[in-house]
Amino acid sequence: MLENIGFVDVTIGAAVDTFKGAGGEEKARKFAVYGYPFLARKPG
Amino acid sequence: MSADAPEELAVDVDALRKEVQNKYREVALDPHGAHHFHTGRYLARHLGYDDAFVASLPDAAVESFAGVANPFVSHPFSKGERVVDVGSGGGFDSFVAADLVGDSGRVVGIDMTPEMLAKSRQTAARMGCRNVEFREGYAEKLPVEDGWADVVISNGVINLCADKRATFQEIYRVLRPGGRLQFADIANGNPVPAAAMRNVDLWTA
Repeated sequence: MLENIGFVDVTIGAAVDTFKGAGGEEKARKFAVYGYPFLARKPG
Repeated sequence: MSADAPEELAVDVDALRKEVQNKYREVALDPHGAHHFHTGRYLARHLGYDDAFVASLPDAAVESFAGVANPFVSHPFSKGERVVDVGSGGGFDSFVAADLVGDSGRVVGIDMTPEMLAKSRQTAARMGCRNVEFREGYAEKLPVEDGWADVVISNGVINLCADKRATFQEIYRVLRPGGRLQFADIANGNPVPAAAMRNVDLWTA
C-alpha cells in the first residue's frame, strides 16, 4: 500500500514483542502480533 | 485490488473512531488501569527508548504512552526538522521528537480524543515546551498544510484507522518532497478471521 501511494525506500525494522506480559499477550500469540518500526520516504 | 480501486472498509469509520476514543479516554484518565497493553515508563523501557531522557520527563508526559514499537530507531532526527505526530495521545513521542529537533525545530501532534489533547497540552505548558503544539484532528484529515513536514511519526495508531489508504495518502500530502515517514505499528503473522475484522468491538480489545 505504501508503494502504491508513492512512498519509496520502504523498510521494516526488527519485531518487538509488544504485548509480552500484558493482558493482551494470549491474543497476540494466537495471531502472531508483534510491533515493528517502519521507514518510508516521499520522493523528492 | 488495483491502486486506484476504492477500498472496501471492514468497519464503519465513525463507529471505530468512537470505540478508539472510548479506549484512549480511559488511557488518558486512568493510565495505570487494567488495559490489554502496557503503558508508561515500563513500556518505554520495553520498547528501547532512551532511559535517561524518559527519566527526565514528568509522569504526565509518559504515563499514558501506549505505543507498540520505537519509531525513532529507523532514522536519526536533525535539529530544525518539522515533525507531525499522527495520533499523539498524551504527547510522549511528540516530546521525544521535540527534544531531538531542538528549539529551531517544530512538532505538531494531532489527536482526536479530547482527554488526550487536554493532557498533552497541559503537560507541554508545564514543561515549558515551546516547539510543540497539539491540534485536534483525524489521521485521515490532518490539520497540516501541504508539504509542511520533514518527518511524520506515528505509534500504534494506523492499525486503528479504518481507512489506512486515506491515512497514508494524507501523510504523503503533508510531507515535503524527500520527507520521511517513521512509524511504528503492529502486524499479525497469522490471519485474523473476516468476521473478527468486521467487529468494531474487537479492534481495541
